[in-house]
Amino acid sequence: MTSFKNGGIHPPENKFTRDFAIEECPLPELLTIPINQHIGKPAKPLVKPKQEVKRGELIGEMDGHVSCNVHASTSGVVKKIDRIPHHGGGYTDAILLEPDGDDTWHEDILSVSSDPKHLSSEEQLERIKNAGIVGMGGAGFPTHVKLQPPEGAKIDTLILNGAECEPFLTSDFRLMMEQPKEILRGVSILQSIVGQGVQVHIGIEKNKPEAIELLKEQSKGMGFKVTGLDAKYPQGSEKQLIEALTGREIAEKGLPFSVGCAVQNVATAFAIYEAVTFKRPLTERVMTVSGMEIAKRKNLRVRLGTRFSDILDFCGGLKHDINQLISGGPMMGRAQYSFDVPVTKTTSGLLFIDNKELDRMRERPCIRCGKCLSVCPQGMSPAVLADKSQQHHEDELPEFGLHSCMECGSCAYVCPSKRDIVHWIKYSKAIIAQKANQQKS
Amino acid sequence: MTTILIPALCLAAVAFAMGSVILFISKKFHVEENPMVKVLSGMLPGVNCGACGYPGCNGLAQALASTRDPKLTCPVGGAELAGDIGQALGIKMAEIEPMICSVVCQGDNHAAKEAAKYVGIQDCWAATQTVGNTKACPYACVGLGSCIPYCSYNALRLVDGIIEVIEENCTGCGECVQSCPKNVLVMMPKHDKRVLVACRSVDKGVHTKKYCSHGCIGCKKCEKTCEAGSITVDSFNATIDQSTCTSCGACISVCKTETIVMKGDHFELQGNS
Repeated sequence: MTSFKNGGIHPPENKFTRDFAIEECPLPELLTIPINQHIGKPAKPLVKPKQEVKRGELIGEMDGHVSCNVHASTSGVVKKIDRIPHHGGGYTDAILLEPDGDDTWHEDILSVSSDPKHLSSEEQLERIKNAGIVGMGGAGFPTHVKLQPPEGAKIDTLILNGAECEPFLTSDFRLMMEQPKEILRGVSILQSIVGQGVQVHIGIEKNKPEAIELLKEQSKGMGFKVTGLDAKYPQGSEKQLIEALTGREIAEKGLPFSVGCAVQNVATAFAIYEAVTFKRPLTERVMTVSGMEIAKRKNLRVRLGTRFSDILDFCGGLKHDINQLISGGPMMGRAQYSFDVPVTKTTSGLLFIDNKELDRMRERPCIRCGKCLSVCPQGMSPAVLADKSQQHHEDELPEFGLHSCMECGSCAYVCPSKRDIVHWIKYSKAIIAQKANQQKS
Repeated sequence: MTTILIPALCLAAVAFAMGSVILFISKKFHVEENPMVKVLSGMLPGVNCGACGYPGCNGLAQALASTRDPKLTCPVGGAELAGDIGQALGIKMAEIEPMICSVVCQGDNHAAKEAAKYVGIQDCWAATQTVGNTKACPYACVGLGSCIPYCSYNALRLVDGIIEVIEENCTGCGECVQSCPKNVLVMMPKHDKRVLVACRSVDKGVHTKKYCSHGCIGCKKCEKTCEAGSITVDSFNATIDQSTCTSCGACISVCKTETIVMKGDHFELQGNS
């Protein structure tokens, strides 16, 4: 099989930056490194103002099991710990770091690669945990948690996610083209942690034939299975990818463990390679800067904590005024309200868009056309979910599969009435979570 | 003649038979009701707002008639109604203080900076859950009016991007308080000179100043000025203890950001004197 069964859409790809090599984004004058770049509890800041730090030094310590370390993205002086706008809306605490320009690595970080074969899988996992790696596809779930299945779960399939089904984004594709060896070594490390003998699948959409060829060639003799997938959104979603590659379906609220799978993004695999062989923490990531209104579209390697305004300056500013700045892809990304938002571990793209429809986009009543039903990859009926949310009948929603929804946005994309279906679903999820919290306390 | 007479008589007979059945049933299955319930529910406002915690005015009347609890009361009717109820029941009702709703935010479209243009679902909760707030201040009134349908007395309206309480309509029932995601609606004792700190921000003064011209920056001037000692400034936000406040207004004159305001009928009082 080369695709998931139910629904899916194919929006215009707009991958303008697919042939642009990854460029290094220069260090800005100030880095704002949020302590909350992942799902779970925010990290605890360890540094004080005026303290000197080196690149890769631990500045925020994980708080609890589902949390993540935060490291200094370059060497410099901590200015203060202050509140900054967060990409998910609202504000978050961040460590403000003034780079000294030397960009020297912390002494713990190895300059020569070590052979991961000498390390036990526990040691490898420990290095991943210390390096603060999260799922870099967008969700930001701590990788060390994802690699430790609960008791009794047996993993027999490891999937490398190179689908990159979001329009505009090309960061994963460029990484696969430029550093395939490193990515594949990262996969081998993952394989040894999960357990020798697991089948490794590499899923790449067919609109990236060069990447499929390259990875096939590079992985010869490693026993990996590289599969070209249909160019269809949301092919890169965890549940859909597992279905496309193995034919297994995950139950509602189920995790990939439940069907014996583990899924990792290519950017995460690259970060794992760096973390295990060099003990190098996650201090930078590759992202796509695109959209219709930016002067120079680029694929950039950016230090975590670089503000969007600095990236905009480096890319030559705006051609026209924009009314939307989106962090992530156009389908699942979030509209931003400030240029002071920094790049985090999960920022896969930055899109500068002038949406002509935005001002007259008001949701109209559902006309029962059923388009959303036919595109929902989870086989639900989004119109019913949105209707019930709108009528504030949140309690009834779980039986209609509310928690199966991964908010891919296919329904809202095809809706001729321009209904904010995903927003209504998110709204109901939040209200239900809030009610559950109130009951607990 | 007979063609009209026969059906008329038949119908009359049927009606008599049915009436007898109804009379029999109403006598046989008569439910004894406390006559006090009818008296009390006639006194209550009859809006069924639910502020008392009972399902509608009749629910409260039943509870009052059966328990005769002096603490049970209608917050809308206030002391006057409580007196009437006490008289009807022959007991002395517990004293209640009339309350009124106040907005503890002054972040209208001029004072508060807008975060960005929000085009999503026009509902305060939806806006808070996705973008935090429509305004740059995370504590400000969202300004989409989700509280308005909660008010049974039409006492809330949106003016210039912020909610406003129409004081003559507000009965102090408190139903709106839970409808606000930012908790900017608070209930306070109703009297003519209510002094309140109209800001919820607990951020550092530098931040608050950036996003609102009327935000409390925690300068502590009011704390030093207050002779009654009823103002405390904690985490960059002043709090006035309403029980000790003398409504002298000294804090209002020293507040540079005009955060502390006086509400009520004090303007009329000044005119009379």
